[in-house]
Amino acid sequence: MIRLQSQEIALVSIVIIMLGILFYMLLYMYFKTRHDGKHDKWRVITDELIHGAVFYDGEDDTAPMPSTETVNRLIGNEHFRALLTDAIVSAKKNMAGIASDNLKNLYIKLKLEKYALGSLKSRHWHVKAKAIQELTVMEIDEFVAQLYPFTNNKNELVRMEAQSALVQFNGFEGLRFLDIVTYPISDWQQIKLLQQLSQVPPVNIDLDAWLKSENSSVVVFALKLARNYHRFELHDEIFPCLDHEDSRVRLEAINFLSEIATDETSDQFISRFLGEEFKHQLAMIHAMQKIASEKDILFLLDLLNDENNEMKLSAARALAKMGHRGMSCLQEHVQSAGYPLNEMLLQIKGELAA
Amino acid sequence: MKILVAEDDLLMLKMLEFRLKKDGHEIIVTNDGREAVGKLAEFQPDLVITDIMMPYLSGLEVVSAVKKMYPTGTPVIILSGMGQENVVLEAFQLGADDYITKPFSPNELSVRVRRFDASVVK
Repeated sequence: MIRLQSQEIALVSIVIIMLGILFYMLLYMYFKTRHDGKHDKWRVITDELIHGAVFYDGEDDTAPMPSTETVNRLIGNEHFRALLTDAIVSAKKNMAGIASDNLKNLYIKLKLEKYALGSLKSRHWHVKAKAIQELTVMEIDEFVAQLYPFTNNKNELVRMEAQSALVQFNGFEGLRFLDIVTYPISDWQQIKLLQQLSQVPPVNIDLDAWLKSENSSVVVFALKLARNYHRFELHDEIFPCLDHEDSRVRLEAINFLSEIATDETSDQFISRFLGEEFKHQLAMIHAMQKIASEKDILFLLDLLNDENNEMKLSAARALAKMGHRGMSCLQEHVQSAGYPLNEMLLQIKGELAA
Repeated sequence: MKILVAEDDLLMLKMLEFRLKKDGHEIIVTNDGREAVGKLAEFQPDLVITDIMMPYLSGLEVVSAVKKMYPTGTPVIILSGMGQENVVLEAFQLGADDYITKPFSPNELSVRVRRFDASVVK
């Protein structure tokens, strides 16, 4: 009897659960259909608005600048606003010329920048980052001062967007955030900033302070700027970077000095060679393939006895590229040293002949 | 002129369609590379405009398919993003005839398309 009651209870429970699931599914389908329908209607409105803006040229009556009356009524709706903003930003990324200007005008006419500025105060980092990106794409430069504090935000993505925004709006002048940034600037961000700067005419900015920054990544970036923009006058100021505690700074300094070497440069490398880590030693010898002179022959010959073949090959290349004297010293050494230097010499001769 | 446009960004696709129709062309659109290749034989376009990054088949594969199907005709214009110079070069090696870098102005698109229209008229 008791057993039968338990079976009945179990059955009733299963039926109730199934009815519950069915009810939930129906409710979900109802709201989804309603949402999709509304979303589709909104999509038609935003598409028409953007089409109108893109193809408005101020003269052609067949493509008048769209009226924003309907949209103004909907703009208070957060979801509609997000849809519209995303569509305008996406179109702006793909358009140039008058079409791009019209999209910016539409964005301003709808006062969407007001909402983006509001999002800068959000507690959520992704909302802030998106707002900064939006203002940058839409070229709303009158608020650039408000973005400046975000260049040293604790969140990396917010920082990156703000730094890129400043450079986008102000070119080299936008780099003033390097004065205050205490967080590291990633390699990726440095590449991105250099790419942005390559789109604007070069300006001779003062790199001194950044070369002495306490933030190592700022020093590395300043070295990259010096290298990219051929700041030869900074040669002597780079030497202290060879003794920097951060190995990335030292490596970048070696790379930079190899590009703008003077007679003194190889001496500076040699005096620091023994205290350096292997990767940096190799970078120095690699640099000496371009800058070594006859006074460096003994040092390079000594490296031919190094245990590491990569070091041997690099030193041999530096000797061979030095000219007649370097090459004859190398050949003499190879005669007595034999394998593997004899093979390396053949390879180097092949490279030089090519 | 009959133009096949392949672009996965739907808003962009609609704008391209709108502009090219306004210029008096007959347009067929698709938002993936596989469908674009599928429509080549059926539509027999005078010009193909294709984005590079698309689902299923890339723009480069679309270029290859067009040049294989119409070895002596049907020019292809590539829509590329900034920094895609290497891909554009690859597209040219495959036989692409022109490219437009995003962002671009609709007027630029019209002018470039018209160049190929004139060659058809000739």
